Amino acid sequence: MPKRDNLRSVFLNGVLTENPIFRLVLGTCPAIAVTTSTMNGIGMGLAATFVLLGSNVVISMLRNFIPSKVRIPAFIVVICTFVTIIQLLMQAYVPSLYDALGIFLPLIVVNCIILARAEAFASKNGVFASAVDALGMGLGFTLALIVIGGAREILGAGTFLGFNLLGAGFEPVLLMILPPGGFIVYGLSLGIINAIANRRSKRAITGKEGVQA
Amino acid sequence: MRKFTFGGGIHPLSDMHEGKAETRGREVIAFAPDQVVIPMDMHLGAPSVPTVAKGDTVLLGQVIATPTGARGIPVHASVSGTVSDVGMRQLVGRAPSMCVVIDNDHRDEWVKLTPLGTVETAPADQIIPAIQQAGICGLGGACFPTHAKMTIPEGKVVDTLIINGAECETFLTADFRLMLETPDRVVQGTRLAMRGMNVPRAIIAIEDNKPEAIDTMREAIKGQSGIELAVMKTKYPQGGEKYLISSLLKREVPSGGLPLDAHVVVLNVGTAAVISDAILDGKPLTTRIVTVTGAVKTPSNLRVRIGTSIQDAVAFCGGYTEPPARIFFGGSMSGIAVPDDTMPITKANNGVVALTEKQAVLYEESPCIRCGRCVRACPARLNPFQLKAVLDVNDDLVEAERLHIAECCVCGACSYVCPARRTLSSTIKAARDVIAARRMAR
Amino acid sequence: MNLRVSAGPHLLAKDSTRTLMIDVLIALVPTTAAGIYLFGLRAAWVLSVAIVSAVISEYVWQRLMKRPVRVGDFSAVVTGLILGLNLPSTIALWVPAIGSAIAIILIKELFGGIGHNFMNPAMFARAFLMASWPARMIQFALPERLLGASQAAVGVDTMASATPLLMPGNWTTYDMLLGNIPGTIGEVSKVAILIGFVYLLFVGTISWEIPTIFVGTTALLSWLLGADPLIAVLSGGVLFGAVFMATDYATGPIYFPGKVIFAIGCGAMVVIIRQYGNYPEGVTFAILLMNCVTPLLDRFTVRRVYGTVKKHA
Repeated sequence: MPKRDNLRSVFLNGVLTENPIFRLVLGTCPAIAVTTSTMNGIGMGLAATFVLLGSNVVISMLRNFIPSKVRIPAFIVVICTFVTIIQLLMQAYVPSLYDALGIFLPLIVVNCIILARAEAFASKNGVFASAVDALGMGLGFTLALIVIGGAREILGAGTFLGFNLLGAGFEPVLLMILPPGGFIVYGLSLGIINAIANRRSKRAITGKEGVQA
Repeated sequence: MRKFTFGGGIHPLSDMHEGKAETRGREVIAFAPDQVVIPMDMHLGAPSVPTVAKGDTVLLGQVIATPTGARGIPVHASVSGTVSDVGMRQLVGRAPSMCVVIDNDHRDEWVKLTPLGTVETAPADQIIPAIQQAGICGLGGACFPTHAKMTIPEGKVVDTLIINGAECETFLTADFRLMLETPDRVVQGTRLAMRGMNVPRAIIAIEDNKPEAIDTMREAIKGQSGIELAVMKTKYPQGGEKYLISSLLKREVPSGGLPLDAHVVVLNVGTAAVISDAILDGKPLTTRIVTVTGAVKTPSNLRVRIGTSIQDAVAFCGGYTEPPARIFFGGSMSGIAVPDDTMPITKANNGVVALTEKQAVLYEESPCIRCGRCVRACPARLNPFQLKAVLDVNDDLVEAERLHIAECCVCGACSYVCPARRTLSSTIKAARDVIAARRMAR
Repeated sequence: MNLRVSAGPHLLAKDSTRTLMIDVLIALVPTTAAGIYLFGLRAAWVLSVAIVSAVISEYVWQRLMKRPVRVGDFSAVVTGLILGLNLPSTIALWVPAIGSAIAIILIKELFGGIGHNFMNPAMFARAFLMASWPARMIQFALPERLLGASQAAVGVDTMASATPLLMPGNWTTYDMLLGNIPGTIGEVSKVAILIGFVYLLFVGTISWEIPTIFVGTTALLSWLLGADPLIAVLSGGVLFGAVFMATDYATGPIYFPGKVIFAIGCGAMVVIIRQYGNYPEGVTFAILLMNCVTPLLDRFTVRRVYGTVKKHA
């Protein structure tokens, strides 16, 4: 059984160090496509987290039974199951969000993050650790989508989570909720985060400050 | 009339008549200094070995060094007098050069070679050996031993001899004055070279900014079968062998090859003239014409003794107009800057130019704006800004090789036109030389 | 003796980055003057705000990033002025301010500064503004004053006037040439643009290929698709785009065949967007799209180097 410290670092790993969107640059398609508003970002993030949690747990449980030659199809079947569940649930209980996410909800099946975690983590680690990893990665993904979606919503509509933030005098930057806005905000946030990471690693090398990211 | 030209190229210093206006009307004046410093490695190839010692008395034209290897040429005393020193001196080259210093007694007592006869009677098989004995190398600037150039290897065919009177470099008027004043010497030398190499056709090529030279040479070749005159559009670096060949014959020298591979031998007009001096009069190469211009009181074309120092030549021209900030051998495009004015003028130097403080600006590089001027200027059709980027950012020699860096002739056209003042040609040259050295070592 | 020794060439051509940019500014003088004359002082305000914002953005960014400050090369002034000329004179003044900042920071500086931008900064900024505040960007005023003895149609709304592209027949060729039509500040006076074009050709800042082939393709393709080629060229921003924006050094191809393809592509995209797209005018997007193709064009139109045999890819 992994120690608490290890679990903490597994969790933080997904949220910060290996944030799927900003550090691993995985799952960029939904990150750009659905983040026209904060709410969409949260919805997409939570849906993906749900699938990630389910698939990581199940795959971890089955890791000693899945023959390595057919592991990818097996993972996909597991992931598909959870995607179908969340799809039906959302269609039933949050139909407006379901409509907003559109094709990108079923496309979670081919989301690189989920397959990557199955392959890189769940198939090699215990159930509990895999669940923690899924939560960490899912939270990291969701946070990233909130950042991108939040920035786009504030600039592109003047609102945050639907609340008017910038007043009536503000004329929304329409481009921000159009596809180019997604690319621009994603690119800029990647750049900022890389700049911060570079500065940190430089500081770590010069030894002025022991940084543990 | 059809004028020949090539792709790319530039018109340097077009706002100041290419720097030639001051000297193009100046007749060539002979000048002998009190002392000459004669380097043993003036020509391309293994240096010659001195045969005189300190204190020896030498006559004008006497052999003072013997050649090394088949490509080597002897060196002759350019004045008569006493050898005052034999030793190493740091000149413009990378390593110090062995030099013979002779104090001039101004008596000009000659030791000549045996003349071979007239243009028509000189035995053809003795012409090339006689050229070697006269210590002749290419006077256009590269100083490649002329006999080696004219020796056509087994299996190669040469159908055309090009006599290069393009003089596309800025400031220089030495070849122009030579063609104007002694056209017959050039024609005789051309005929002798044709006979020596057994080549049926020769083309004397001149740029259209020298109409007087074109008229004079046209007159001089009247009745000469096989010698043609070609007028070319003025453009730098037309005088570069490769581009001269593509201008005149629409042939290209293959990558890594010599003009021979395009069935051509190119000689400078100055070289042709000294060939006739050597074969007809038995005079070895002891003088050359040099354009001394820029910040000097009387810009002139001088016939100086080989080994005359810059300061002596400039003093003969009345001295500097103001303290120079930069002096270079050759023209402003591909000339070599010198560290001080005690450097001797060698067989390779066709000009000495002094620039004032105001002219010798050192520019600061700024970022490339991709204007494409260097691309249009490059006669080799390279992409200088891309090469520079590859070298500056990653020092990626492999990529530079893929971009054909070896074809760069360091004409400097790219650096000249660059509005961002980027040091394109020197960066490319440095990398090209590293690549060449590595290839040699392999 | 204190001599400077360095590799040749020892004397350089007089043109510098700054003089090239100043030449572009000189070439823009007729266009700017015509724009201010036609649309009044309001146009001068728009242009000034665009220029000042571009210069300040560049200065502040380079300072913040601790990079050498290169405001002195005037390239930011050119970007700001070109963006300003691409806006209607009625635009709110905060629009050019934001546009210039985006052009300089997002496209020019973030991609590595002058010469490294992959799109024309002013063009990108215009596209950004078009997509963000479309209503403001297409409110064209009719000129306040007219150039020459005009036969310009009277009784047309002074605000929200459609360009001749949407309402052909309201204006004569004469008016379109001089600029007595609604449009952005810089695009209306074709005569002024042509004077600038001739100047740029004369001083050698740009070459003829891209502008002429761009305009030619637009005319030819419009004619083939049944539109009036004269109106296609003289209305809208084709001429201004072809002379001042498609010829941008950093975002255009280097080699001759590449330039030809680039120009044909620009012209074709303009006509396609006009005829089949949602926007009435397509010059901005045509040039931006072809900007993105430029690296590919440069790669596939490389010249055969002297003395080498071209490899067949």
